[in-house]
Order: sequence, then structure tokens, then C-alpha cells
Amino acid sequence: MTSASVRQRASGAARSPGSVTAATHLARLHLISRRAPAALIALAVCAAVLWPALHWRWGAGGAAGQRQLPLLIEAAASAVIAVTTYNPFGEAERASGRWLPWLRLGTALALSATAAGLLAVAATSGRLPGGVPQMLRDLAGVTGIGLICAAALGGLLAWIGPVAYAVLGEFALMGAWTSPWMWPARPPQDRGGAICACLLFAAGLALTTARGSRDRADD
Amino acid sequence: MNIDVADLTRKFGRHQAVAGVSLEAGPGVFGLLGPNGAGKTSLLRMLATVIPPSSGELRLLDRDPGSHESRREIRRRLGYLPQNLGYYPGFTVAEFVEYFALLKDMPPGRVPRAVATAIERVDLGGRARAKLRTLSGGMLRRAGIAQAIVNEPSLLLLDEPTAGLDPEQRVQFRALLRSLGEQATVMVSTHLVEDVGAACTDVAVMDAGRIVFRGTPASLVAEGTSSDTGDAPLERGYTAVLAQSRQLAKTRS
Repeated sequence: MTSASVRQRASGAARSPGSVTAATHLARLHLISRRAPAALIALAVCAAVLWPALHWRWGAGGAAGQRQLPLLIEAAASAVIAVTTYNPFGEAERASGRWLPWLRLGTALALSATAAGLLAVAATSGRLPGGVPQMLRDLAGVTGIGLICAAALGGLLAWIGPVAYAVLGEFALMGAWTSPWMWPARPPQDRGGAICACLLFAAGLALTTARGSRDRADD
Repeated sequence: MNIDVADLTRKFGRHQAVAGVSLEAGPGVFGLLGPNGAGKTSLLRMLATVIPPSSGELRLLDRDPGSHESRREIRRRLGYLPQNLGYYPGFTVAEFVEYFALLKDMPPGRVPRAVATAIERVDLGGRARAKLRTLSGGMLRRAGIAQAIVNEPSLLLLDEPTAGLDPEQRVQFRALLRSLGEQATVMVSTHLVEDVGAACTDVAVMDAGRIVFRGTPASLVAEGTSSDTGDAPLERGYTAVLAQSRQLAKTRS
């Protein structure tokens, strides 16, 4: 094989004379390496499950009972976002240049926005207790927990946080807990719950941007 | 000096992995030998700016990696092959190397040529479009070396680069190391003393977190005698240095 043909082959993956094209290409490669396409499918599945869940006639339990299944679906979407923080390249990537923090932030924000959009669309024709604002609050808070979990435990274990919080949230809904940190049990206009959820989302994004997910046990 | 280290230490909990290493290195190929658990990987991880030192002074490429701006510039000019290189199995070899070229802020116009050159230098030209999941262990290692050299780094850190390579590939790799060492500082951590003898201009032996020998491969050979363990002169020198350092440590304690 000649060097020219290798160059031609390699340039098939990198036809990027301009910096904008290069940045776009870098973002595309980063998203693929984080399995973002699979994450998009998983988020679409979450939205597809939410739609029938909202049309299901719930028996006893009132508004709190009707929140239980949506909360689980929101937690599943958050877990999907958190797991995409997994860095398959390990330390070689961490020792690279300045773009990495922005790529991590962009991925987390893009997937969070997509999840919010898909779930909001799925909720439009159904009766979502608390409406879309409550869904956005809950999704943001639980995603924050997932991102914090990724920084502490690693990307592959990041689902533990959202799942654990969803279980707690179910108890909170049944027991009508009042702590603002258990925002799923609080009404949509509750300021304390919204502040707590936003704080966790901001903390999760900051950790994801600055550190990314944990690669090794001794980090 | 591309590497300038004084009294560097690193602790993991109560375990002291690196215990007061001082080291200077300019252009050339620097071999880092030592038994398992000697602290070679921890030292390389600090030099790669992946983990901060617990104490001591560290300057890389005449910059202090403690500051954010300097660390960014160091990483742009750094190549690093960790002991356990991860990869995304769906990437082709070209995409994998290109991803790192773009991450390291290479001028976009230079990327395609740099990617092709790096892939050719590790003799993977024929597999540039092969998915990483289809490659053998040795080929993956070579793809890892390609990502480390794609930005023509001034400081190249390779942790066990020849693990998984067959003898012919190892000989080729030593030639590549010698060529890279003409411009850059190349630090190679390895168990294979013959790689050091064939490719390195300088060598250090680490044991229990400390550097117990620093010199040329020829001076390491001179440390050994026919009564020392080893099949080759360099192996005998290596085992002699380790035995002396352990004897000294025992006497001190």
C-alpha cells in the first residue's frame, strides 16, 4: 500500500480544511464514542413508554399514584444520559487538549435537551400530573444525580444514582414526604424543590465538564 | 529540559507509589525499568498530567502543569500511551487516530496527512479502515502508539508499548523509537530490558517508588557480573542493581 492511498483512506474520515468542519467532525466522533446514537434510541423508547403510561387509567392513589410511572421513566432517561459519560479511551483521552471539557458539557446538555423534548412531546396528548414543568424539574434533578454519580463511580455505574433516587422518590410520593430534596413529591410550582433539582443539575454538569466520569478506582 | 522533576512523590491512600523521584530528561529515548509495583506507571501518569503529584516539583516542556493554561499547552504537545488503552470498538483505525489528532488541537489542514503518517509509521496502513474490534491485541497496541505520535509530540510517554507485539514488530518499533527520540523526549516504561538496550540512550531503574539507577544502557551492563541472574549482560546489570538497592534498604531498616 502506498502512502498516498493510506492518506486518501485516512482523509475519508477527515476531509476537514476548516476549523468549523474540524470542530463538527470532532464533536461527531466524540458523540459516537459516547454511544450517543444508542442513547437517542433509548430516550425515544422512554418517550414511547411514557405515552401509554399517561393514558393508563390508574386506580387508587390520586395524583401521587399517577406520578409513579412517569417518575420511573424520567429516571430511566436520566440513567441513559449519565451512562453516556463513560469514556472508552481512558487516560489517553484525559491527557489530551482543551476541547474535551466542552465536548463533555455539550454531550450532556444535548442529550438532556433531547430527553426533555422527547418526554414533553410524549406527554402532550396525555394527562401528566404536574404538567411539563414538573417533568422538566424532575428530569433535570435526577440527571444531575446521574452525572454526579458518574464522576464518583464511573460512567458504567452512573445509572445507580438515578435508579436509587427513583426508588426513594416512589416512597416519597406514597408517603407525601416534604423535603425539597425529594422534589418528585412536591408540587410543580414549589420553589424549594425546583432550586434543589437545579442545583444538582448544575453540580452534575460542572463535574462532568471539569472531570468527566471516573476512569480508575484509584483516581 | 522537557522533563524536570524534583523530589516527586505520589500516595494512593497509605500506599506510597512514588517516593521522592528526581529526574531530568531532554531529547532522546529514556527507558524506565523496574519490577511490577515499582512505581513506573504512577510516575508516567504524573508526567502525562493525568494525576497530580502528592508533593515535589514537576516541570514539563518548561512549564508548570499545576496551572490550567500551562497544562493545556503541555497536553497539546504530549503523546501518551497508557498501560491499559481503552478504545471504542466501532471506530476505524483512522477515526481513532484522527479523534486524538483533533482533540490535541492540531491545525485541521494538517490532520489527514498526520493521521496517515502515524498509521503508516506503526505499519497499519493496510488496516486504516478496519474497525478496532476486528484488530488483534498487537494491532490495537500499534493503533494506540499511532494516536500517541499523531501530533508529533515533544514529550512522548509510552507505558509498556511493546506488550502484545511480536518479535518482528518489536524490532520495527525500536527503530521508530530511535527516530522519534531524535526530536522529542521519549520515555518508555517496560519490563523488557532488551528493548532498552536496543532503543534507549538513557535508562533508569525504579524499585519501591525510587530511582535506584540512572545512566546509559552500557553503564547498566557494567553493573552486572557473571554471577548475577540473567541471560544477557543488560539483564544481569538490571538484577544486580535491584539486588544492591534491596540490600541497601535492608541494611538501613
